Amino acid sequence: MEAAKTPTPKKEHVLSLGERISVIRQSRYFLMVFPFAMLAIIILIFTVATGGQFFRMSVFSSLFSQAVIIGTCATGVSFIYSNGNLDISIGSVLGLAATLGVMVFTATNNVVLMIAVMILSALALMAFNCTMSVVCHIKTITVAIVVTQIYGAISTLLIGGTGTIDIDYNVAVSLEDGGFRYVSFALYFIFCIVLYHFTRVGRELRFLGGNENCAQQTGISNSRATYISFLVTGLGVGLAAVYSVTNVAAVSVETGSNLGMDVMLATVLGGMSIFGGARSNAYAGILGALTVAALNTGLLMVGVSSAWIQGIRGIIFLILVWMNSERLALLPSRVQF
Amino acid sequence: MAHKGETLVEVRDLCKYFGVTVALHHVDFVVKTGEIRGLIGENGSGKSTVSSIIAGMQPASMGEMFYKGKPWKPSTMLEAQAAGIGMIVQESGTIANISVAENIFLGNYGKFKKGPLINKAAMVAEARKALEKIGVTNINPALPAGHYDMQERKLIEIAKCVYNDPELLIVDETTTALSQGGRDIIYRIMHEMADNNKAVMIISHDLNEMMEQCDTLTVLRDGVIIDNIEKKDFDPDDIKQKMVGREIKGDYYRSDNDGYGDEVVLKADCITTMHSLLCFDLELHKQEILGIGGLSDCGMHTLGRALYGLEEIVDGDVILTKSGTRIKNAQVAFRSGMGYVSKNRDTESLELNASIFANIASTGYDKNNAGPFILPWKEKTYVEKQIQALQIKCQNAYQPVRALSGGNKQKVVFGKWCADDADVLILDCPTRGVDIGVKAAMYQLIYDMKKQGKSIIMISEELPELMGMCDRLLILRDGAVSGEFFRKDGYDDRELIEHMI
Repeated sequence: MEAAKTPTPKKEHVLSLGERISVIRQSRYFLMVFPFAMLAIIILIFTVATGGQFFRMSVFSSLFSQAVIIGTCATGVSFIYSNGNLDISIGSVLGLAATLGVMVFTATNNVVLMIAVMILSALALMAFNCTMSVVCHIKTITVAIVVTQIYGAISTLLIGGTGTIDIDYNVAVSLEDGGFRYVSFALYFIFCIVLYHFTRVGRELRFLGGNENCAQQTGISNSRATYISFLVTGLGVGLAAVYSVTNVAAVSVETGSNLGMDVMLATVLGGMSIFGGARSNAYAGILGALTVAALNTGLLMVGVSSAWIQGIRGIIFLILVWMNSERLALLPSRVQF
Repeated sequence: MAHKGETLVEVRDLCKYFGVTVALHHVDFVVKTGEIRGLIGENGSGKSTVSSIIAGMQPASMGEMFYKGKPWKPSTMLEAQAAGIGMIVQESGTIANISVAENIFLGNYGKFKKGPLINKAAMVAEARKALEKIGVTNINPALPAGHYDMQERKLIEIAKCVYNDPELLIVDETTTALSQGGRDIIYRIMHEMADNNKAVMIISHDLNEMMEQCDTLTVLRDGVIIDNIEKKDFDPDDIKQKMVGREIKGDYYRSDNDGYGDEVVLKADCITTMHSLLCFDLELHKQEILGIGGLSDCGMHTLGRALYGLEEIVDGDVILTKSGTRIKNAQVAFRSGMGYVSKNRDTESLELNASIFANIASTGYDKNNAGPFILPWKEKTYVEKQIQALQIKCQNAYQPVRALSGGNKQKVVFGKWCADDADVLILDCPTRGVDIGVKAAMYQLIYDMKKQGKSIIMISEELPELMGMCDRLLILRDGAVSGEFFRKDGYDDRELIEHMI
């Protein structure tokens, strides 16, 4: 579709509304701007609807608290999604890393050691997942399903009878309210953005996700890129384990459950496909997580019942997926037919 | 039965827009019974668009169509098929994982249904009949289509189309994927149809073929019909000029006899692959354009892949002689300054959903950087330079590659390797499915690369381009060199063909 020159126009072609919308939607900026615009619109609507109550620091800090665990994981996992892999085991990785960290803390009472153990064990577990898939050529999703069971079982064994291990409440509060959460998240997020968008890592992952054959012919190593993606995710999951534990001052057998699905949801809401490829980015996860948090909080504040919140969230989710999933109108090609 | 010369399909004032892009601009034409109509024009001139609208693949934006005198507005390909319009599409139109028979009757399973079950045996038997009808007996309809190569899969599609006895057969750039034998099958079917007062529309970039086979040629340029030419008025230079809107000389190959250096840059030392090659030797010299030709299954495509480390080499080595690097996989090849243009453009040479920018930039991650960081402005120059030099027709660099026409896609592939500045380039069918304008540009580019001191291996199924471009030409038969020809000595195509078969 390149025949742009029209030598002798007989009639002027007027764009219909549908065509205008499709031109806007196919703009390369659309997908970049759209999720930000959605979040801004949601905040604006709720600010008006609540007479300004919504636009307050305390609300924003609560939004951040709700979004940070899912957002951190999703930021990392977007690296994995980018090259077409799926990993739903991060919930159980987070659970096991948190358990190990809490056990070390109980034994040593050393906060720094606890954080280090959580991050390192998350890194090690993700590296193990990756090795299984790269070396043994098992699909990442298959590995994830198996290890989810194993890691879950180990956590349950370690935590033992009561199902929870508490940590000192004051330590938890100081970690949660002190600078650690904000600073560590900001550093991690910036690290991911730079790595993804300003080095070859993100470009390679996207390319592999789009066409692995082609990427390999341009000298891109799939194993190397896959390892990087899993390790970046491991770092994020380790941090999220710290946030999870300090949030409730305990680790339980439930820690991290459902996280894999929530992360996928956030990624899609943030405007990225979980199947990776050309339109992937590293900020969709946190945007999506913030959007969900803003919707939940805002709807609660204007007095919508929780049953309705589910429904409204579902509708918005469908609209977003529809907006993100259109096929271009094309000439017939081998891809289409 | 229809009489010769009656109007079968009429297209009036047809327009097609993709957003703001105009693909067809008020096109009118008539296809008559007993006629073989050729559509010819540069890539993106609207040939495929107009035929796909007639065949029900996509709707027009404006205008009317008439088929057998009645208004014609098919909403699906199946509707068009049922009404007697069949189309053989450009590139692969078969599904690899299902059987040949299922491919042939795709969407038409009804007649084999027994309650909820499908009588596979009957379907296979009927598919065999369909294949025999076009004279193909070496394809087993019970096997999955993926079992067969491109050429055989094309024949399956042809069988599928012809089985329904279409009144109008549309052949969209199919012949370029076929060897002479396959082409002859298509030509026979086309002429039989014309003799029976049916009609054929054919799209091809092979001007000689079009002039030989067609009764009338319709020349399209930028979505507008430039001319309709009757057989008696066919003149290659006139047609070319009408296609591209400027004069193109009859000969666009290189005319020099410059020769090449003595230094061997790439060497295959008795390489054996799982298929095709057994202890194969090859030497590529500096500044040499080495042509490799033969029938499509002679092993030349495997050779190209093996040299770039894409095919498993069971025994022997591919070595870059200067550095002594052994090419054991594509990463090593790429890092050592080699480049490879695959025969399968859409599946291997491009990331279709990514932009032109991302595709071209993909060879430059090690060039447009400062330490680990990629410098966006450097990357931008890297890409823009190629888009301008190759005159890639696009709205902007951020358009997805899949929205481009075949020739422009191929330009993007060339763009990324030109930008890469590889020293050794392996080109497998570099001009497949591109029009003469783009072809001429690519030959010039290949020649320029030679001038810059690069070494090129050009694998092709088209003898004229091998003869026109190569310093040295190897003809392969059954995985071994059956003949070696030197530009300086001169040779003709008969000698080549003798060594091929």
